[in-house]
Amino acid sequence: MIANQFALVRREIWEHRSIYIVPMVVAIIMSVTMLAVVIGASAFNKEIEAAIFGASNLVGDAERRFALTGFFAATSWIFLVALAILTVFYSLDALYGERKDKSILFWRSLPVTDAETIISKLLTAVLLLPLVTVAAIIATHFANLIIFSIWVMVKGGNAAHLIWGSLALFDNWLAALIVTLASAVWMSPFVGWFLFVSAFTKRMPLLMAFMPLILIPLIEFIAFRSHYFADAVGGRGDMMPLFRGTDLEGFFDEERLRVNEEVISLLGHLDVGQFLVSPSLWAGLVVCGLFTTAAIYIRRYRDES
Amino acid sequence: MTSLVTARGVSKQFGRVCAVDDVSFEIEKGRIMGLIGPNGAGKTTLLKALLGLTDCDGELSVLGLDPFRQRKELMRNICFIADVAVLPRWIRVGQLLDFVESVHPNFSREKAEALLKKTKVDKRRDSKVRELSKGMVAQLHLSIIAAIDAKLLVLDEPTLGLDIIFRKEFYANLLSDYFDEERTILVTTHQVEEIENILTDIMFINDGRIILDETMDALAESYVELMTSGEQADKARNLGPIAERDIFGKKIMLFEKPNRQRLAELGELHTPSVADLFVAKIKGVAA
Repeated sequence: MIANQFALVRREIWEHRSIYIVPMVVAIIMSVTMLAVVIGASAFNKEIEAAIFGASNLVGDAERRFALTGFFAATSWIFLVALAILTVFYSLDALYGERKDKSILFWRSLPVTDAETIISKLLTAVLLLPLVTVAAIIATHFANLIIFSIWVMVKGGNAAHLIWGSLALFDNWLAALIVTLASAVWMSPFVGWFLFVSAFTKRMPLLMAFMPLILIPLIEFIAFRSHYFADAVGGRGDMMPLFRGTDLEGFFDEERLRVNEEVISLLGHLDVGQFLVSPSLWAGLVVCGLFTTAAIYIRRYRDES
Repeated sequence: MTSLVTARGVSKQFGRVCAVDDVSFEIEKGRIMGLIGPNGAGKTTLLKALLGLTDCDGELSVLGLDPFRQRKELMRNICFIADVAVLPRWIRVGQLLDFVESVHPNFSREKAEALLKKTKVDKRRDSKVRELSKGMVAQLHLSIIAAIDAKLLVLDEPTLGLDIIFRKEFYANLLSDYFDEERTILVTTHQVEEIENILTDIMFINDGRIILDETMDALAESYVELMTSGEQADKARNLGPIAERDIFGKKIMLFEKPNRQRLAELGELHTPSVADLFVAKIKGVAA
């Protein structure tokens, strides 16, 4: 079972090379952009560069920590957006592609159950994709740290103090890991739904996946003037119960710039316990489980001929 | 002899259409069974039921297992090639071998490598399946299948769309690399004439029903073809041939359970080809 899962997940990486290519491309684009900004600022706009560099030298340690941490956290969010898009396309193709190219007949000729196959695709979407994303986030952070350090050193600054010393790296990375994994689990009902559509639809999986999300709330509103479905689906877009506090504005509060914290901790904003006991999380997992089970039954019972 | 496959009253309905209709048969160990039928006769549905890919009514046992409910156990001991084109097109040859090796307990990597060495695929280990010719894909698939120590091999139109050289080679390799007295093969194809000399048993299926189920030896006993003309032909016709056709002004009549002595007086006797017998049987049912 476990050995099969390893082989099956490896198979997913072979088939869907976008699993690592997309995060790699995003990482490269972001690092190159950062390099270009630094070089551009140095070469063409001495005033701006002087202002940035002056600021990084002059403002207090806490402020610099906050700015760098904020910058790195923002970098991570961009990866989360890429992860979301990648997950949609991956899970919609996961069970559709094999039927389209008929290779399902080959896969099903091997001693692997439909449940094992579909669980491997679910694990790929909810676990592997986020882990690859976190690796790309860390690689990008490293690249940016090196670019900043070289820039600071060229200007005669102390990179060890100004850059590396101003950032709680492990705090930042552990927070990225937790937030990325939690987001994937939080959004897992959608992954389940996409896998179900992917197993079910005969054509246009993308359209088939998103049309009901638009039509059902519309019909519900016209028929009952209610919006339970929209609330339930849209509710996933609200802040996860992982975060302390209520909104992003509070998270990046102007006031906080003035707070003289020794270490700006991202982990400090996360409450894993609160997330794990949240009924919404478990309700979502149940929905994911139901859709996944339905997908298994479709793959098992539907005759493709 | 032991029965590898036992079907009793097996039926499969698709809505109102009965694709397989109350079918009963047995396949014994060490046989090569040909399942022949026109398009839409229910061949593929029957094979899918045997492979546990589709549920069915009636009693069906393959290697002593219920194929639909015990599919994973069954697949350890069954191999099938459903079509020439089912290998995933994106996969590389090496990856395919790695994958089968990691999930199939009865797969021998050494044997697969040795078999591949004899084919053109050997120099294309890093190629993707989509970059190989159809014939090479069939060679690759057969090499993998032959390296699996399975008790039953099911082939559904395994050579469709291949050229004559690959088709001949495919069946030759099948016999030399795969088949032995411990193994059993069930094969369907439209190109009956290419497999009739390797079959030990044959089954005709039409409209979901089995209309003939014989060993090849019994077939030669049970059916005879008479070539005759003129008055002799009229006499022969009175003996009740199941089919009749014209070739170069001569009449060819096919008899079931013939009185050979009587017929020999009326013209030349031949063993009918499976293809001719098939056409006669299907038309006979239709008439």
